[in-house]
Amino acid sequence: MNQMSTVSSLALAGASKTSKKEAASVEFRNVTKRYGRVVAVDDVSFSIAAGELVTLLGPSGCGKTTTLRMIAGLEMASEGQILIGNRDVTHLSAADRDVSMVFQSYALFPHMSVLENVAYGPTVQGISKKEAYAMAMEKLALVGLSGLEKRAPSELSGGQQQRVAVARALVLEPQVLLFDEPLSNLDAKLRRRVREDIRELQQSLNLTVAYVTHDQEEALAVSDRIIVMSNARIAQTGTPRELYEEPADLFVADFIGDANILDGVVLDQEGSKARVRIGGITLNLPHRGASAGPVKLAVRPDAIVLNEDPSKSTAVSGVVKKASYLGTQIEYEVDSPVGNLFVVQYSRKEPIAPGTPVSIDIMEHRGVALIPGS
Amino acid sequence: MSRATLGWIVLGWIGYAVLPWYGFDSAVAPTLSEFVLGGSGLVLGMKGAWWLLPIFAPLLMLLRPVMRPEGRLADWLTASGILGLALILLQGFSIGLNGWTFGILKALFGEPGPHQAGMGYGAALTATSFLILLCHGLAARGWCRGDAFVTSSIGIVMALIVVFVFFPVSTILASAFGDDKGSFAPILFVMKFTDRSIWGLDCLSSDLRCGVAWNTLFLGVLVAFGTTALGLAFALIATRTSFRFKKLLRVMSVLPIITPPFVIGLALILLFGRSGALSAILYEWFGVPRSRWIYGLPGVFISQLLAFTPIAFLVLIGVVQGISPTLEEASQTLRAKSWTTFLTVTLPLMRPGLANAFLLGFVESLADFGNPLVLGGNYEVLSTKIFFAVVGAQQDQGRAAVLSIILLGFTLGAFWLQHAWLGKKVYTTVTGKGDAGIPLPLPRRVAVASYLAAIPWAIFTVVIYAIILIGGFVRSMGRDYTPTLDHFLTAFRVERADWGLYFSGSAWNSFFATVKVAALSAPLTAAIGLLTAYLLTRQRFSGQRAFEFGTLLSFAIPGTVVGVSYILAFNVPPIEITGTGFILVMCFVFRNMPVGVRSGIATLSQIDKSLDEASLTLGARSFTTMRRIVLPLLRPAIVASLVYSFVRAMTAVSAVIFLVTAEYNMATTYIVGRVEAGEFGLAIAYSTVLIIVMLLAIVAIQFAVGERRLGRRSATANAAPLAVQAAP
Amino acid sequence: MKLTKNFAAATMLAGVATAFSFLSAGTAQAQGALVMYCGVQEEWCRAMTTAFERETGIKVAMTRKSSGEIYAQVKAEAANPRADIWWGGTGDPHMQAAEEDLTVEYKSPKNEELQDWAVRQWEQAKHRTIGIYSGALGFGYNTELIKSKGVEPKCWADLLTPKLKDEVQMADPNSSGTAYTLLATIIQIMGEEKGFEYLKALHKNVNQYTKSGAAPAKAMALGETTVGIAFMHDIVTMVVDKAPIKVVAPCEGTGYEIGSMSIIKGAKNMDNAKKFYDWALTPAAQKLGAEAKSYQVPSNKSTPVPPEAPKLNEIKLINFDFAKYGSSEERKRLLSKWDNEVKNLPK
Repeated sequence: MNQMSTVSSLALAGASKTSKKEAASVEFRNVTKRYGRVVAVDDVSFSIAAGELVTLLGPSGCGKTTTLRMIAGLEMASEGQILIGNRDVTHLSAADRDVSMVFQSYALFPHMSVLENVAYGPTVQGISKKEAYAMAMEKLALVGLSGLEKRAPSELSGGQQQRVAVARALVLEPQVLLFDEPLSNLDAKLRRRVREDIRELQQSLNLTVAYVTHDQEEALAVSDRIIVMSNARIAQTGTPRELYEEPADLFVADFIGDANILDGVVLDQEGSKARVRIGGITLNLPHRGASAGPVKLAVRPDAIVLNEDPSKSTAVSGVVKKASYLGTQIEYEVDSPVGNLFVVQYSRKEPIAPGTPVSIDIMEHRGVALIPGS
Repeated sequence: MSRATLGWIVLGWIGYAVLPWYGFDSAVAPTLSEFVLGGSGLVLGMKGAWWLLPIFAPLLMLLRPVMRPEGRLADWLTASGILGLALILLQGFSIGLNGWTFGILKALFGEPGPHQAGMGYGAALTATSFLILLCHGLAARGWCRGDAFVTSSIGIVMALIVVFVFFPVSTILASAFGDDKGSFAPILFVMKFTDRSIWGLDCLSSDLRCGVAWNTLFLGVLVAFGTTALGLAFALIATRTSFRFKKLLRVMSVLPIITPPFVIGLALILLFGRSGALSAILYEWFGVPRSRWIYGLPGVFISQLLAFTPIAFLVLIGVVQGISPTLEEASQTLRAKSWTTFLTVTLPLMRPGLANAFLLGFVESLADFGNPLVLGGNYEVLSTKIFFAVVGAQQDQGRAAVLSIILLGFTLGAFWLQHAWLGKKVYTTVTGKGDAGIPLPLPRRVAVASYLAAIPWAIFTVVIYAIILIGGFVRSMGRDYTPTLDHFLTAFRVERADWGLYFSGSAWNSFFATVKVAALSAPLTAAIGLLTAYLLTRQRFSGQRAFEFGTLLSFAIPGTVVGVSYILAFNVPPIEITGTGFILVMCFVFRNMPVGVRSGIATLSQIDKSLDEASLTLGARSFTTMRRIVLPLLRPAIVASLVYSFVRAMTAVSAVIFLVTAEYNMATTYIVGRVEAGEFGLAIAYSTVLIIVMLLAIVAIQFAVGERRLGRRSATANAAPLAVQAAP
Repeated sequence: MKLTKNFAAATMLAGVATAFSFLSAGTAQAQGALVMYCGVQEEWCRAMTTAFERETGIKVAMTRKSSGEIYAQVKAEAANPRADIWWGGTGDPHMQAAEEDLTVEYKSPKNEELQDWAVRQWEQAKHRTIGIYSGALGFGYNTELIKSKGVEPKCWADLLTPKLKDEVQMADPNSSGTAYTLLATIIQIMGEEKGFEYLKALHKNVNQYTKSGAAPAKAMALGETTVGIAFMHDIVTMVVDKAPIKVVAPCEGTGYEIGSMSIIKGAKNMDNAKKFYDWALTPAAQKLGAEAKSYQVPSNKSTPVPPEAPKLNEIKLINFDFAKYGSSEERKRLLSKWDNEVKNLPK
């Protein structure tokens, strides 16, 4: 029963179907949430512009879900201010905020049919049943579930249930839509599909979306901006590219994408650039506030070039320990004087056999960054 | 400011300025002017009842946020709420019926000082308004996620618990520390507390009797285990098998709960007593000597099992139904045999239900009074000891209070153990994801064990009820089996007079009063109980544990003590309600509420919290969420608490014995009177009528509340029928 | 929609309020007339109520409870008494209430018509309670069960025979006034030391100390015990109900109870209470007991004694000292002595 049916793409309504309500911005001002002595969210400030999709990313327990629930009004901030559309909602209850949420478990009401679930929002707002059902049918059509409205949630597949949850959240056309790990119960293929659907939906309806996930790939794929959280604080905020290319600290560098964290030494600075030396290689990188002395660098796996031609010897050499063929790319583990390296190479046909000595080069424009303050 | 807040401000003013502040002296009928303006707090205050005037101040303070809504609403509401409540309490408790109530006031201002009667509608309304406005103020400050419904509910339930549980109970427990004259005597307390008749362990070393505390504890644990096991067997058979007589089994299992006290005990004597029917057969056919084994631990144990298994069943059936079949399927796909699955998945998931059933069984056994009275023999338990300490030849209220403290200690211990055992594990099985699993059929040995336990028990129950049924229609059970309708005629004769029907039977009076009180208290009990369960599981607030404990307190204390404490607390102003039906209703509500709370908690802990949250984010307020999402999923708990509270209101004895009056005489006190007079036939006939009324009520409740739809499929066509199918 | 927020709270409150108004309405008429706590059987209580209402037109609100319960309630209500008159039930709680100033003194013009024992009790209670009926303590045996035992007990002493091991039932004096009367009777007949010796010996034959005083009579009727110690009129009720029981007035003599009547201190309807008091002492009122199948001996000399009633003049009655054995101090001492020396003895 639980096998996935083929998922049709979310049938997108045309431009005529844009929300009647304007999307709203969300702003956190020095918000702290405490449970007794435990600090779940510590002095966090950020803002989400109207119509923007922002992901809250971080490992479990970092406070991202608590932050999301504070936007929804399901948790109350212990300190600080929360604004939605420039209105202070800090003390407003969930029901008084124009925010909808898609839950990780979908939270479909088991005693109601699909249609009743989706129409629930309008009916509790006092809209007549007939009108509410019409609104619900419209949203069900939007997520491609027309014809299933009479079913009980338990009679749907996981992907279908997820879309019912989305339809239910959309039906009130909220100022802000929240997603709490919406894809975690779906299989890998479906995940990619659904996250694209969500992104399309967000852009075509011009919704403000806050999205919680612990999956960095998912975050990079859907977000306008990402807020990386760690230990109840914000580690870094930025576009996916900024995070990838200019991680603010070791945590972000490691968490977003794969990175080799290498030791280097800043030799000198020149304008915005610094000369950095890793092993025998010298790179010219943006200094990002680092002064002369030892420093750590994040080197993306594809910034490292391996060369098995012994004649082209560079300053650093190493030995391939393991090679994995993954179709579009080949992944290597390389033993070298600067440390164990994880290397990805694209567009190569033949993997280098393990045990082969290689020379190592780092391409400074492909994703190498000094980590400030390390 | 919300309209609700405004509404409560208006109500507060009405209570003070329009409605009569004091209750009426019952002898005179109030005139309209007394009722509408003349008796109001404001008018009386002007006329010389100066102590009512300060209450004007917080009411004026409330006008400020009405005039200028943009102020600091929260602060104004909170401040005037606190001040108003404090003033009402202060004047209420310091000025009594006969003047000052505190010695210090007498000394300061001279005796007797001003005097006043008990609070009336006006005072009640104004006090309630202050309380609710205080809660609104706190909500506006962000308490309980800013939800005024939640803060108000907490406030009201807490206030009710304080007034109807803590206040009377502390009144009587205080007497444990006093001597006969009421002065403080801690040494006497220690002496009474450590008495050998309470804690003696002589039965271990010699053939002397053990202390009454150990007896009670032993019986309680035994009964709790027994009822939980039997209740589980019934619940499993009812939900997980295709047993043909399932419905009959369910009726059988519910019958004892609707049986008035003494009746089961009487039936057991008629069956197993020395001259009992079964004893006679055993003696004549097999030469088994007649003995008096039924008097004592065995008899009390059997009768309590009969009486309390239904409670365990009602708690457990909701839990068993709620267990997600997918979890069991998951276990099976991990190669676990069905027996292993049952042992490692199903059973642990039932832990909240099992723990609650156990707790209820234990507490019920501790508080039970009718069965030990009839069958106890020389096996003494605390509840009867307490009763006779109050009404017996010793007439030692202090001793009763000491014994109550011990009883209370046991209950709280059980409560604490239950918490420790459940721990912080999660037992959610009804989640927002549709569950497509099919409930497992029971593993063979579990099924066999369940059948073996339940079927003989059901047959036993049938025999007991056959005896009860026959007892009403023969002249004298056990001696003279001439069929007769006399008992029914004496109790329920209806004559046709010129002006209509005349209910001349001697039982009609108490019968009508009982039905009225039960019908009023049942929905109130269920509402307050389930609301409390909701607050306890779904909200987080400081003092939650104390709150939970408070709900259990009146249940844990034996009825006799509660009865006396209600008289002590509510016979004098400020709350003067003895002699009314209201006090009976409130007594039942707070004695039976814990069942609603327990079954509500057990069921709610199975329902995924994100369902509520989803509803909240969709713009439904807490109240709507409760009505549309929580309540439909709580149906088994609603049925349980409605049925239980209705039935208990009809069958309780010990608490009401002191609270009944000529108008509000209860069926059970009538029955007890009959039993005392040795008129078993009449007692049994009356009980039969009560049983039928309660059966009808249960069917009506089931029908009105309906079945919980979870959209789950069932393994067999007729699995999981909750007696009446209201929903398709 | 904002109003729904507090709808639940409001509903609940409205519910409570309705319950309140609905139920409290009744008491209004109740106290206009006479509120009576009745300590005998329901039927007798009802007969008294209706007869008094018919006689005087005063409406009576009657509540029936056991006398221990009535005492506990009167004591708890002392600050704001609810009842006017307490009629019936064994004398001890009445005496106790008199001792604790819960009832008031009253001298009825009918006092002269009463038996000596009733007047004596009235004097001992400092005029605060008066006897309305009396019943002697005794025992009975089940005539069918006794056959196999080969004894026919006639005296208290006969109950000690080993042939009756585990065949005697009596109530627990801690819970039952009846059993306390037995305790006091035995002590007055034999003296305290010998009396306790007797009770210890009796203990070996006692199968159960019941909670309620009348329970042994019922157990005898059902055949659950061979011998039961109780008030004789309670046993007679069973005999009238055709139980195979013989009533015995012990040869050594026996004690008795005096069913009493008191006016509650602070009664709201004092005049009516006195009216009832006077009326209840008349033969017309006292003969209602027999009609309601209660076979006590009435206190008015001219009330006809029911033929079934145990004849007091044929019973050897001891000179029962109600003042001494009714006082709470003596009672507590004797009860705890019985608890320690008799009840916990091994069989």
